[in-house]
Amino acid sequence: MVHLAETEITNWAVDLIDARKTYGKNIHALRGVNIQVARGEIFGLLGPNGAGKSTLVKIMMTVIKPDRLSGTVLGRPVGNRKKLAVTGYLPEAHRFPPYLTGNQLLDHYAALAKVPRDVRRKRAPILLDKVGMSQWADTRISKYSKGMLQRLGIAQALINDPELLLLDEPTDGLDPMGRRDVRRMLLELKDQGKTIFINSHLLGELEMVCDRVAILVNGMVARQGTLNELTEHTAEYRITADGDLSDLRIQVERLGCALSRSMIVIAGDDRKIVNQVIDLVRSKGHEIESVVPKRFSLEDVFVEALGSVSETSPMARPPNLQ
Amino acid sequence: MQFGAMIIDSLRESRDRKTFWVLGGITGIIALVMLSVGFGPEGTSIFFGTWHVESSLFNPQSEAGAARILGVVVYMIMDNFLGWIGLILMLIATAGFFPSMMSKGEIDVVLAKPISRPKLFLYKYVSGMVFVLVQATAFVLVTFLIVGFRWGVWAPGLLLSIPLMVLLFSYLYCVSVLAAVITRSTVAAVLLSLGAWIGFSLPRTALDTLAVFPELDKNSAIYSSMRVLATIPPKTTDIAYLSARWAGAGLSLDIAPTSAMTGPGGGMNQDQLDQIREREKKQFKVSALSSIGSSLLFEAVVLMLAMWRFCRMDF
Ligand SMILES: Nc1ncnc2c1ncn2[C@@H]1O[C@H](COP(=O)(O)OP(=O)(O)OP(=O)(O)O)[C@@H](O)[C@H]1O
Ligand SMILES: [Mg+2]
Repeated sequence: MVHLAETEITNWAVDLIDARKTYGKNIHALRGVNIQVARGEIFGLLGPNGAGKSTLVKIMMTVIKPDRLSGTVLGRPVGNRKKLAVTGYLPEAHRFPPYLTGNQLLDHYAALAKVPRDVRRKRAPILLDKVGMSQWADTRISKYSKGMLQRLGIAQALINDPELLLLDEPTDGLDPMGRRDVRRMLLELKDQGKTIFINSHLLGELEMVCDRVAILVNGMVARQGTLNELTEHTAEYRITADGDLSDLRIQVERLGCALSRSMIVIAGDDRKIVNQVIDLVRSKGHEIESVVPKRFSLEDVFVEALGSVSETSPMARPPNLQ
Repeated sequence: MQFGAMIIDSLRESRDRKTFWVLGGITGIIALVMLSVGFGPEGTSIFFGTWHVESSLFNPQSEAGAARILGVVVYMIMDNFLGWIGLILMLIATAGFFPSMMSKGEIDVVLAKPISRPKLFLYKYVSGMVFVLVQATAFVLVTFLIVGFRWGVWAPGLLLSIPLMVLLFSYLYCVSVLAAVITRSTVAAVLLSLGAWIGFSLPRTALDTLAVFPELDKNSAIYSSMRVLATIPPKTTDIAYLSARWAGAGLSLDIAPTSAMTGPGGGMNQDQLDQIREREKKQFKVSALSSIGSSLLFEAVVLMLAMWRFCRMDF
């Protein structure tokens, strides 16, 4: 773990410190969230329903006022208008004025984002084409299907050629082709140096594109780090030998491992124990068939984080800042 | 650029409302009816000349006749259409503007744009009046042209009814917006703005009613408190008189000859008529500056409240 110098910290695209939000008197949506997103990365915010993911994004987009928040977005305090002009946002369950056509909608939102007329005129058809909505450009939005609305929403988020893109459930309502298109688009945008922040509970999807993720549970960050960091942390090894190993049960369990017939499962990633177990098995004349290090999937991390949330301090810092 | 975009959006939203076309249709029908009537020095023709009434009352070439014709236009046509049915329809049509902008999922995108909330609020407020501006302009312009070409009275002052109409609408629209911001409901916005319309004129109506009883002490507590109360809300009823004055019309009582009202069919005695005339004369002379100024002050206070609320809201 590296200590980051002060100057580097301002290099975060998103650097939120101690974000808190309580709705009404007792719905604690966020209880001191710290989230750091580096420039140019795809960041996934995971969490079960009601964890506070949308609340956090809405706070960044000034839709909701936090009770407390310090930190920056694109190097400026949250809500800075110059930076809002270069941020794209796709809200969850968005609703667009039904009387507009796709083209009109893009033009309207681009104008609100202060994109000059000639630029937005040029950009709109390109974006509509990218999301596969070219034929629907001049059809009223009231006639769009859910997935078409979502595609238009993504185009809308890109109309100001944003440096930072915040997507709340971007693949909601999309067919498999649409999902793949979105993934491709995100990677393409990343290649262009954009920072992307995705809210989702579709773990598989995030696993495919994200560089780093945070897991939000109950308004607190339970885990945060690169996919590697999170998944390597909770590895297990499976050692299989020929024949029955029951005669080793007592010694194996003394090492803290589990035994079932010809397989020994070693939780954690302590290589020393693995070697001890191998030595033990071989010393009793058994032959090792395989030693398989099993990385936990993001889902395992997620489930584990859900269980461990009570132990998490509300001020959890990302691993690389500790 | 942002303001322009919101104006265009507002026009598109208006165009999407049925009420917009209903209002346009009403304007067309009224224009037809107006065209069917002809005022000349020798008399009045009705329904494209089907009937003819001999009378020099509405002689466009005489000053009194022209004032009467303009009186018909302002009091009978504009006041009833723009100041009554039209106003209700406009309030209904525009009541949804704020609630729909503020609806979940739609407001998110807008707030994420680089525009401050007060600005967003004011832009939306002003652009909501585009609906009314379009309708009032169409109506007044058509009326102005018919009065000029068909009836022979050219009264550029009639065109001032356009801003006056928008002004009258804004007196009530601010209440509609306040209700919308607080409740986010279109129905509440309609009901409260219509209620406010009645409410605004209550103190003055009460004063007028009290005036019918000459034995009542003009310095009594009820009387003076009513007088104070009457100064606070927007002066919606003044708008018709300002329109009439600026257009060059006379009193509404002067449209018909006195004999028609005190005669057997009119059912008023001379005393009552004199009283009403006195009152109308007073209202006719209302100071535009103080009437509009105090009304705008009220509107500003209501708007500030709504804006304050809008700026502090979570969505
Ligand atoms: N406008 C609101 N008023 C009151 N409570 C709210 C409001 N919006 C969200 N909440 C509450 O805040 C908490 C966090 O909600 P949020 O929408 O941020 O969750 P989420 O992580 O986005 O969930 P999901 O995956 O379902 O979208 C929930 O308990 C929710 O009930
Ligand atoms: Mg959400």
